[in-house]
Amino acid sequence: MFSQFETWYRDRHDYARRWKERTGGKVFGCFCSYVPEEILVAADILPVRVLGNHEPQDVTEQHLFGMFCPFCRDVLAQGLKGRYEYLDGITIAQSCIHLRQTYRSWEENVPHDFTYYLPHPMHVASPHAVPYLYEELKKFRAAVEQFTGKPLSDDDLDRGIRLVNENRAALHELYAHRKGPVPKLSGLEAMWVTVSSMWVDKEEHTAELRKVLAQLDEREEQFGDGTRLMLVGSENDDTDFIRMVEAVGATVVTDDHCTGTRYFWNETPELDDRIEAIAKRYVERPACPAKDHVARTRFPHILKLARDFDVAGVILIQQKFCDPHEADMVPLRSYLEENGFPTLFLEFDVTVPMGQFRIRTEAFLEMLMEEDLF
Amino acid sequence: MITIGVDVGAKNAKLLVLRDGEIVGKKSRESGFDQETVTNELLAATLAEFGIDRDEVTGICSTGAGRKAVQYAGDKITEVTAAARACFELYPDTKTVIDVGAEEGRAIRSGERGKVEDFAINEKCAAGSGAFTEAMARALEVSVDELGRISLKSDASVPMNAQCAVFAESEVISLLHARTPKQDIAKAIHDAIASRIVSMTRRVGLNKPVVLVGGMARNVGFIHSLNTAMQDEVRIPDAPEMIAAYGAALVAAERAVVAATETGASGPG
Repeated sequence: MFSQFETWYRDRHDYARRWKERTGGKVFGCFCSYVPEEILVAADILPVRVLGNHEPQDVTEQHLFGMFCPFCRDVLAQGLKGRYEYLDGITIAQSCIHLRQTYRSWEENVPHDFTYYLPHPMHVASPHAVPYLYEELKKFRAAVEQFTGKPLSDDDLDRGIRLVNENRAALHELYAHRKGPVPKLSGLEAMWVTVSSMWVDKEEHTAELRKVLAQLDEREEQFGDGTRLMLVGSENDDTDFIRMVEAVGATVVTDDHCTGTRYFWNETPELDDRIEAIAKRYVERPACPAKDHVARTRFPHILKLARDFDVAGVILIQQKFCDPHEADMVPLRSYLEENGFPTLFLEFDVTVPMGQFRIRTEAFLEMLMEEDLF
Repeated sequence: MITIGVDVGAKNAKLLVLRDGEIVGKKSRESGFDQETVTNELLAATLAEFGIDRDEVTGICSTGAGRKAVQYAGDKITEVTAAARACFELYPDTKTVIDVGAEEGRAIRSGERGKVEDFAINEKCAAGSGAFTEAMARALEVSVDELGRISLKSDASVPMNAQCAVFAESEVISLLHARTPKQDIAKAIHDAIASRIVSMTRRVGLNKPVVLVGGMARNVGFIHSLNTAMQDEVRIPDAPEMIAAYGAALVAAERAVVAATETGASGPG
């Protein structure tokens, strides 16, 4: 049922190359989920989230400090090894310093026709955040227009907003199927869908997802036996990890990752000024911890997700050396545990030490189910 | 009723036989490369040595990193659950279990009836484990037992900052070159491990009483450093390296009782 999404997830580069051949359009690599995809889609540009591929590499040492996170190293390695050679442009919306350095090193070492560093408010709870981003998005729009040679009309922006919002709405519906006592899909399948939505043409992705949604109620395969878990943390597209967690007796039913719910959770509102609408959307979306200080709006949001999806426990999993998530991790653990959700903390590296993680996950599940054990 | 617990650790496989709650036999050997064969041989040797017929064994539960290699085990639990269960049996008021084996250090917050409330395991680092002492003993050209004993003769406090076993070894070599007495280096090694273990334990809460288990609970130097760091006396059971196997045997017995009750309940009358 989810095989198309699995294929898109696995063959991401082939997909983008074929999309270019088929449409003759341009493809931009996006370094963060804060990049306003609406503007790119409006300009007929395919936004592609740039991710790592989880294999050891030896090409980034001279570009990045040793204690920068493994994700930013893995991403840079993809650029230096030419895996994204089809990109016409790259852009980043400022979130964390590690990834910004990856972007800068990529920009210096991998030639592209278009590069754009988009300053983005770091204090999203500030009343100045939307006006600030509004001004920056106007400049970004102008740069994109200059690149394509075609001004963006309100109709173009409406189309961009609609296509991205429709995909978000479909992803929401998919997640709703994970809420009930018997989830209709596994966490692994959900990951294929959400992560692939970050590089597949929105219209195509939504159409495929709608086909699956129409069949989900009738699906016979059951996912109700596992202990219901939530994953919370930094970038996570690690299918090996989620596959292992679900193989030892859990079902992952929701998440707070920038490759999951944080990416699609809120829609762009309808406003007369389309750029203002997009600015509001990216300021008001579930926050990355890099932008959530001092307010920490993400804590009650995560708690609500945990309750709505009726999870038994939460695995907090972040990229090793991810400073923003490390800043939140200690108070977040206490907060969740005070509210009745036990947690397990794990750190991602480029590859996952599967044996060690399996033991920890199994021990965590035993802890959650100990009443049944004895 | 006879039940068996098998703990397949990173270095040694341990097997323990329980008859009506009493330990009647235990045996261990190196886990080796082929854990399945090793655990098969261990079972056969134990049954033969203690005169137990295989048919008399009601249940077998395996634990440890290699627990899945134990083909004859009906149940499998993690070493976290196993250690907490065993320590509750031995010391019902246990609040914290520290389990330091060959390659992992674990801290477990133990609740009512030995229920695991939280746990922490050392990350990808050998500097808080038994393998670290073996490497350091080699560097000092003493046996592991001797490393523990000579460390008790020192009252010096030599800081060791290295976070990784390899760098720690080069730090030890530097101390040797600086003509630091062996006993002081030995104590520095145990202080460093104890500090790492206590630090990890604080993540789950360092609540007393604390029980220390695992092979490192046989190292007198480490015990002294740990007690000093915690400002308390840890409790140490007999044969602390057999604790996870004991916990697994206890769980096997409990599950056998539950299974018998369920079978009985569904039977006639």
